[in-house]
Amino acid sequence: MKKLATLLLVLTAIAVGFSVKITMTSGGVGKELEVLREQLKMFKQLYPDIEVEVIPMPDSATERHDLYVTYFAAGEKDPDVLMLDVIWSAEFAPFLEDLTDDYDYFELKEFLPGTIMSVTVNGRIVAIPWFTDAGLLYYRKDLLEKYGYKNPPRTWDELVEMAKKISQAEGIIGFVWQGARYEGLVCNFLEYLWSFGGEVIDEKGKVVIDSSQAVQALQFMVDLIYKHRITPEGVVTYMEEDARRVFQKGEAVFMRNWPYAWALLNSDDSPVKGKVGVAPLPLGPGGRRAATLGGWNLGINKFSSKEEKEAAKKLIKFLTSYEQQLYKAIHSGQNPTRKAAYDDPKLKEAAPFMVELLSVFVNALPRPRTANYSELSDVIQKYVHAALTRQMTAEQAIKNIARELNFLLK
Amino acid sequence: MKIKGSAAYWMIFPTLLIISIVAFFPLFKTFYDSFFSFSLRPGIERRFVGLENYKNLLRDVRFVNALKNTIFFTVVSVSIETVLGLIIALIVHQKFTLRGIVRAAMLVPWAIPTAISSQMWRWMFHDQFGIMTRLWERIGIITPGTPILGRPGLAMWAIIFVDVWKTTPFMALLILAGLQVIPEDIYEAAKIDGANSIQRFFKITLPLVTPTIAVALIFRTLDALRVFDVVYIMTRGAVNTETLAVYNRHVLMDRAFTGAWFGYGSAISVFIFMLIMIFAIIYIKSLKLRLD
Repeated sequence: MKKLATLLLVLTAIAVGFSVKITMTSGGVGKELEVLREQLKMFKQLYPDIEVEVIPMPDSATERHDLYVTYFAAGEKDPDVLMLDVIWSAEFAPFLEDLTDDYDYFELKEFLPGTIMSVTVNGRIVAIPWFTDAGLLYYRKDLLEKYGYKNPPRTWDELVEMAKKISQAEGIIGFVWQGARYEGLVCNFLEYLWSFGGEVIDEKGKVVIDSSQAVQALQFMVDLIYKHRITPEGVVTYMEEDARRVFQKGEAVFMRNWPYAWALLNSDDSPVKGKVGVAPLPLGPGGRRAATLGGWNLGINKFSSKEEKEAAKKLIKFLTSYEQQLYKAIHSGQNPTRKAAYDDPKLKEAAPFMVELLSVFVNALPRPRTANYSELSDVIQKYVHAALTRQMTAEQAIKNIARELNFLLK
Repeated sequence: MKIKGSAAYWMIFPTLLIISIVAFFPLFKTFYDSFFSFSLRPGIERRFVGLENYKNLLRDVRFVNALKNTIFFTVVSVSIETVLGLIIALIVHQKFTLRGIVRAAMLVPWAIPTAISSQMWRWMFHDQFGIMTRLWERIGIITPGTPILGRPGLAMWAIIFVDVWKTTPFMALLILAGLQVIPEDIYEAAKIDGANSIQRFFKITLPLVTPTIAVALIFRTLDALRVFDVVYIMTRGAVNTETLAVYNRHVLMDRAFTGAWFGYGSAISVFIFMLIMIFAIIYIKSLKLRLD
């Protein structure tokens, strides 16, 4: 008995001595944090010698960005595992562990190609895709039916027509989206730009935004507010939650938003519960449709110790595994980055639109992939917002964007 | 008992040391950095550029614009706050029932963290369900459907409105403290000499409370010139509300690892520091304050 006790004591000592403690950052939007803590409990059972501490982060992506800038600039060893927005890969690449050699370990060939593109910088893998996002069109099924529309709008023109008719008859708003001066505005703008046949930067890195398509796309956004009058002027102050709250109160026919809104719109206290449909964003005049790729990746801090990096890899592999992605998708409504997960009947039951709109997630387009993305985004935000608030014309705004981006990327 | 000179120095030494570390070191570091061109990306060469960053400031349209916005915000908000603060201080200086509760309640806006109250106000200015939007529509300041925070011109006034709401209590509190130290017997003497209440205010109250107002003005101006949170949360600098600190966030954070902007950002910080100093000197000179 005494021997056994000694043995146990020694084993515990060894276990404690060899255990690694790592830290990871995570957002806390909706049920995100709660779900992660459950997942970490499962991880603990698999790897009792790895202890994971979660550092919750602010909701706003910009504030998270600024937090990371501070960490990296100071050469901080913590956090070890970093939750990274898809647009940061290139900017933060110098501070992230190179995971190119672990391509097979993380089974990256099983992932959606767009998400892999978002973690690739100069041919190197710097993070592992955790969950993905794409812009979607939410619509009021009941209202469309009432006014004799069987399907959601196929083109932007159809959307304008439907929104006008229904909103005037019902005395509500036609279409809400994100028009405040922040990152979300860039996501919205790019969807119009792409669907009208424009582009910001071509494959060779040349700025090609100065085109008639770009002007038309931006003019269309302006027209939604001031000409067609289906979008309130206040959209220039809207972020995701502003738009969602208007739509959820039943005061709008259409809304552009991310997948996260689905669970909230269908929660028990929602006035529009069961009345909402989700569709891909409409086609532009060129017959093209586009959704901006969003989502978050997991990277490893380059300043962490070797043991911490090894433990971090195990954690990331676990969190991005098929079962865990499915668990996350079902419980917190965040889209899996693995293709196979979309064939799972459990996902179809919990979030049918994810499965039905798989093509949207597969074809979602990444924002320009450059190290100074934050600056590029700031330029687009500034001038697109100026056009939406009629401080300049769409043409002047596009010319200004082109001029500043040329200066920025030369 | 008298402590010898050297012993006194040793006693204040820890305080001086801590102030040096937390206040003077960052200040000098920023000043020093502003003469260089560099970024926080590892492996970037740090290049001495002398006054180059400062010269570029004046050529930067966005900077000049932010400077104009900052000065406008400061002058307007601090003026309104001072006048309102003085009026409120005079009122709560009177004796009336529940004075204690009124004085405490008055401080609520100032006690709420700006990040939270700004978010609260952003919702109240929401074009669809914002209570302030409805109110401004009723009074006739705006036509229905106007997005207050999305209109050039109007947005800055909304921000000033929130700042006034938030910091007038602080102004009132400081001025109230100044009022309380004016001895009652001066007023009594004035009354006997036949001075009416208006004369008593301009000849006694105002001159005697001026030093306190000056101190309060310096505090507020200092804060207003580096205003960040109200603006950043309510508009993010859109529709021509960008202030120097909001622009500097962009330079220091969005460009931290790209280009070589960190020295430039430091120059902006030093500029804000100088601006505050100029304002402080103007106050001290024009109000004939004695710093001792």
